[in-house]
Amino acid sequence: MPPLNIDITQILLHVLNLVILVGGLTLILYRPVTDFLRKRRESFAEEERLNAETKAENERLKTEYETKLKSADEEIKARRAEAEREIADTASRYMDDAKVKADAIIKSAEQEAEARKVHVLESAQTEIGEMVLSATQKLLADSASPDKDLKLYDEFIKQTKRPAEKVSKSSKNSKGSKSSKGSK
Amino acid sequence: MSETTNKKMSRRKIFVIVWLLIIALLLVGIIVSGTPTSHTESVKEVMRDGVLHDINQISVFGLLVNPAIISAYIVTALLLTAAVFVRIFAIPRFKRVPDKFQSVIEWMVGFFSNMADKNSSHKPRFVGAYIFSVGAYVFFGTLFELLGVQFPTTSENTILLPAPLADINAAIALGFTSYLIILFAGIIRGPRKTLGVLKDFSLPISMSFRLFGALLSGLLVNELVYYYYALSFVVPVLVGVLFTLLHALIQTYVLATLVSIFYGEAVEPRPYKNKIKKEGNRI
Repeated sequence: MPPLNIDITQILLHVLNLVILVGGLTLILYRPVTDFLRKRRESFAEEERLNAETKAENERLKTEYETKLKSADEEIKARRAEAEREIADTASRYMDDAKVKADAIIKSAEQEAEARKVHVLESAQTEIGEMVLSATQKLLADSASPDKDLKLYDEFIKQTKRPAEKVSKSSKNSKGSKSSKGSK
Repeated sequence: MSETTNKKMSRRKIFVIVWLLIIALLLVGIIVSGTPTSHTESVKEVMRDGVLHDINQISVFGLLVNPAIISAYIVTALLLTAAVFVRIFAIPRFKRVPDKFQSVIEWMVGFFSNMADKNSSHKPRFVGAYIFSVGAYVFFGTLFELLGVQFPTTSENTILLPAPLADINAAIALGFTSYLIILFAGIIRGPRKTLGVLKDFSLPISMSFRLFGALLSGLLVNELVYYYYALSFVVPVLVGVLFTLLHALIQTYVLATLVSIFYGEAVEPRPYKNKIKKEGNRI
């Protein structure tokens, strides 16, 4: 018997057994299971990558929407300011128009008052002329005496004062109306 | 509780006590008076045969082999059959979320695969497969002796088939196969493809004899326990668990770890040497 019963044939038989076992288990069990594990790991990694991409895309969209919202707010503010400016322009334009119209009305009123004044003066002059004429005719018609002359002069003076007062009153009235319109 | 119920309880207690006493007495009688044995071999011969396997050999096609060879091929056949069943019936039904059985298979494969990956600079698929197969062989081979398979020998006895690795030839085969794998990996993938691993020639010897010694110690204790009739009660349960199940686990882990570590060392690149060389070239 060899020392410790070490026998090369039996060692080779054991090695053959090991080769069969290792090859068989590797092909039948180990590789299919490791392939399955690897594919599952890859699928998990792929899902993780997709999730990360989706998350990044969501973040990007969120930032984009926030930027858009911010710019929309600014746009709204700008448009509001523009509208306010337009309103202010329109209002001032209306005011200017109104002022122009008011000036025109005042001017026409003044012209009308002036025309009336002239007309009144003219009519007063006509009346005065007629009065003078009638008085002269009366003087010519009646015999003249100093007392009568005096009376006639007095009456003439009285009558000449009345139309002058009328004229001054009417001119005062026209000035008053003009000032009130102007103030308006 | 009524009086009748109490009486029934006490009678039952008495019956149990008497029954246990009879069993104990019978056991003591068997142990003390028994003539164990029809041992045809002395304890010395049994222990010697347990170590050397030179008496009880088995004839296979005219070739005399140690019983461990038969054990080894039976274990391989059982493992491959189980693997075929798993391959046909379980693996095609594997799910993304594993059930219990799938978890066990994944854990076993993943454990050895991760061990190989962790100890090596690259991902050696073959080393993972090798330590997985060898681990399964050592573990189930060690547990195989618990089955108590009897086999006729050439000396007209029947022998309880031992664990494959209780034979030194099996341990040497395993140690040298592992060493050859590490050696060739070092030559093919190692730094500058040198034969640096040759300096670790003590590796296969230490691997073989450590494995053989560890498993043989358990075997011898078991042989001793079973040889003496009086020790055949209760004690084998403790001894069997201690020297078989724990040995199986420990030796599987140790062998797989050693192979993966030595493989990793053999193929590990040596950056400091390259760095020195580059620096030398610059100068």
